[in-house]
Amino acid sequence: MTEKTNDSRRNFLYLAAGGLGGVAAAATAVPFIGSMFPAADTLAASKTEFDVTTVAPGQLTVILWQGKPVFITHRTPELLKEVDGHDDMLKDKDSAAIPEVSQPWMNDENRKYRSIKPEYLVVSAVCTHLGCIPGYKPSAGRKEWGDAVPEDWPGGWQCPCHGSLYDISGRVINGSPAPFNLHALPYKYKTDSTVVIG
Amino acid sequence: MKLKQLLIAMGALAVLPFAQSAMAHEGVELKHAEVDVTSQEQIRRGLTVFTDVCMGCHSATYVSYKGLMDYPEIALTREEVDDLREDHAMTEGLRTELSAEDAAASYGKVPPDLSLITSARHGGPNYVYSILTGFEHDPDGRIPDGNFNEYFKGNRIAMPDPLSWLDHDEADTAQLEQDAQDVAAFLAFIADPHQNQRRVIGCWVMGFLLLLTLVLWRLKVEVWKDVKKH
Amino acid sequence: MLNTIMKSKLFGWVDRRTGAEAIIKSQLTEYPAPKNLNYMWNFGSLALLVLVLQILTGIFLAMYYKPSAAMTYGHYTVAFDSVERIMRDVNFGWLIRYMHAVGASAFFVVVYMHIGRGLYYGSYKEPRELLWIIGVVILLIMQGAAFFGYLLPWGQMSFWGATVITNLFGALPVIGEYLQQLLRGGFAVGDPTLNRFFSLHYLFPLLLAAIVGGHIHALHVVHSNNPEGIDLTKDEEKIMFHPYYTIKDAFGVAVFLLGYCYFVFFNPQAWGFFIEVDNYVPANSLATPAHIAPVWYLTPWYTILRSFPDKLMGVLAMGGSLAILFALPFLDRSKVRSARYRPVFKQMVILFFIDVVVLGYIGHSPVSPTLKLIGQIATAYYFAFFFLLLIVPKFEKTKPVPEGI
Repeated sequence: MTEKTNDSRRNFLYLAAGGLGGVAAAATAVPFIGSMFPAADTLAASKTEFDVTTVAPGQLTVILWQGKPVFITHRTPELLKEVDGHDDMLKDKDSAAIPEVSQPWMNDENRKYRSIKPEYLVVSAVCTHLGCIPGYKPSAGRKEWGDAVPEDWPGGWQCPCHGSLYDISGRVINGSPAPFNLHALPYKYKTDSTVVIG
Repeated sequence: MKLKQLLIAMGALAVLPFAQSAMAHEGVELKHAEVDVTSQEQIRRGLTVFTDVCMGCHSATYVSYKGLMDYPEIALTREEVDDLREDHAMTEGLRTELSAEDAAASYGKVPPDLSLITSARHGGPNYVYSILTGFEHDPDGRIPDGNFNEYFKGNRIAMPDPLSWLDHDEADTAQLEQDAQDVAAFLAFIADPHQNQRRVIGCWVMGFLLLLTLVLWRLKVEVWKDVKKH
Repeated sequence: MLNTIMKSKLFGWVDRRTGAEAIIKSQLTEYPAPKNLNYMWNFGSLALLVLVLQILTGIFLAMYYKPSAAMTYGHYTVAFDSVERIMRDVNFGWLIRYMHAVGASAFFVVVYMHIGRGLYYGSYKEPRELLWIIGVVILLIMQGAAFFGYLLPWGQMSFWGATVITNLFGALPVIGEYLQQLLRGGFAVGDPTLNRFFSLHYLFPLLLAAIVGGHIHALHVVHSNNPEGIDLTKDEEKIMFHPYYTIKDAFGVAVFLLGYCYFVFFNPQAWGFFIEVDNYVPANSLATPAHIAPVWYLTPWYTILRSFPDKLMGVLAMGGSLAILFALPFLDRSKVRSARYRPVFKQMVILFFIDVVVLGYIGHSPVSPTLKLIGQIATAYYFAFFFLLLIVPKFEKTKPVPEGI
């Protein structure tokens, strides 16, 4: 009789020890793996200021914010017209698919421009497919770009890596491998000419 | 059995002199500050003392404005931090406007950064509290008023009585002592901002380990019954 | 549970290609160990545990630590900043840092107990002389790793401790100056020193891992000593390492963790013994702290060094005090191993333990004439202990050693 109870006690203790040991091992792994995630200061929203008047009309500048590239585009009145007329070509014309493509400052008026002031577009330069920086091809049609762009090219960006297409507001065009519009950014105008991103 | 007793005695012998030398340090015995690093009220009051008084000369460069929002023990609002930091970025640390050169010229020494001061001095917050409330008249009359401090080693301190403790009004004593304790609490907190989480997690860990030790002890006794049988 | 694993198909696949089953049997499940080992025999496995912990925590700290003495703000440097970043911004960085700092001291506590066991029970005697010698090598590498590691935070004690110790090498004739420059990478402790100490600090524990493997292998050839110090010839006197000592070691680990975690979570500075107060002040090459002392685990040797007025003598004595450990198996010729049966040796070795504690206490304290004198007496006994062992067997009346256990 003593043999049997001893065995069951022994097994219970083995099980308990093994179980607790497993919990201890898992709990110990947590801080080590956790430490590899970005540290608080890396995650901290740092700000970048930029004087938009340094961008000539029709031109584009790429700057860095939080280590990632950002397009600052100065859209001329002609380019601004390219915002309309191709809604059926867009995967997400209202920038509603995921939170990152929209910002609190977007409203019904500026949603198609995806900017606070229509003439200056401040948008992420990271292609939502696999992260390359898309090439700037602002004018519509094939006059400047030839066969490289589709016939109904509305003007915008074309990614060199896998061919994703975006319109002049950074909205992704049907048929592109990229799933989402170029991400919108938290920014505001500190003065009439200076934006602060972040 | 005798060896065990011997080991215990040696353990005590080994630790005692070290422990004793750690506690007893040359110099006057420090005052005791009522500090609670879990108290948001006290730490916030201390932050105010720090920014109003200490930051005139001292930095706390490892404390960022963002940290003042993020640490639950301080948890300032975005507006409060924006007020405090003026032009500085969120990720910048608390820095004094006083340049090192100007400080050396005015006070003879550069005021040290206070981010780790309670860890860098024996007695920690008690030391800070004692210094701030330790300005007296030099009984020997050699060190000028404002530079004679009872608790500072050598009694001659370059820092000129920041809380105006010397010859203060009796009625102000309670408030000044409170300010000194509060800033000591703030400094004790920011020297090691994760200390409260550390102790909480520690309680769980110790509890778990006690359980594990118990189980393994019983398992050891049980398995070794096989050996004892022979 | 081990049985179930070993019966599985996957294990069979691995075993056919590695011989794993034979290894597990010969080193664990069919490895005989004396059945009378007491808890002083737990410290070897604990030392291995702490080594693993130090390497693990060290690797993760190295993901954020930056070994640069470049100035950033005031007296702060890139290195000091990176440690504070680990403490404040890295997720659980504070925990990993405290584990590493407490672990360094824990390593020495455990290893000193392990060595003490070896001394008391005669585990260094034939046929375990080489095992002991490998152990002394491990101790030296540990001390090196600790010394290199302590510079890394670039606090006041880091900088000045490194300055003092690298100065010692300058005392050696002819080669001293070159050796000092070689260590420092310059004329004074500075950025080159920091960088190379970081590299060496990373290297040494990995060297240790290899040498510990050799230590365990050497042990497994001659098998463990036991508290009675006698050779065990009968099978009934031995038990298999698994499950008896694996479980006893696991229990020992749990008890150890209780102490270790108390310090990590509630008292990581340990009143200034594990993390010294002065090291929270950033290094200042123009201001020496009032009281320089090495971390507690190096203090006995510091006292020996300071016991001699002549700098070179001090350095040689300090080196000698470590070198003489190698000679121990050949100095002590008594046929009886365990202090249980050696009344004279027992008193000597207990006095030796007390002596090392006294040396340590003095090394930690500020200089005073009284302490210096006691330190010199203690140093004298330290060396006397080893030389006396040469003659002790000649007159010691050992107690009759048991036949078996």
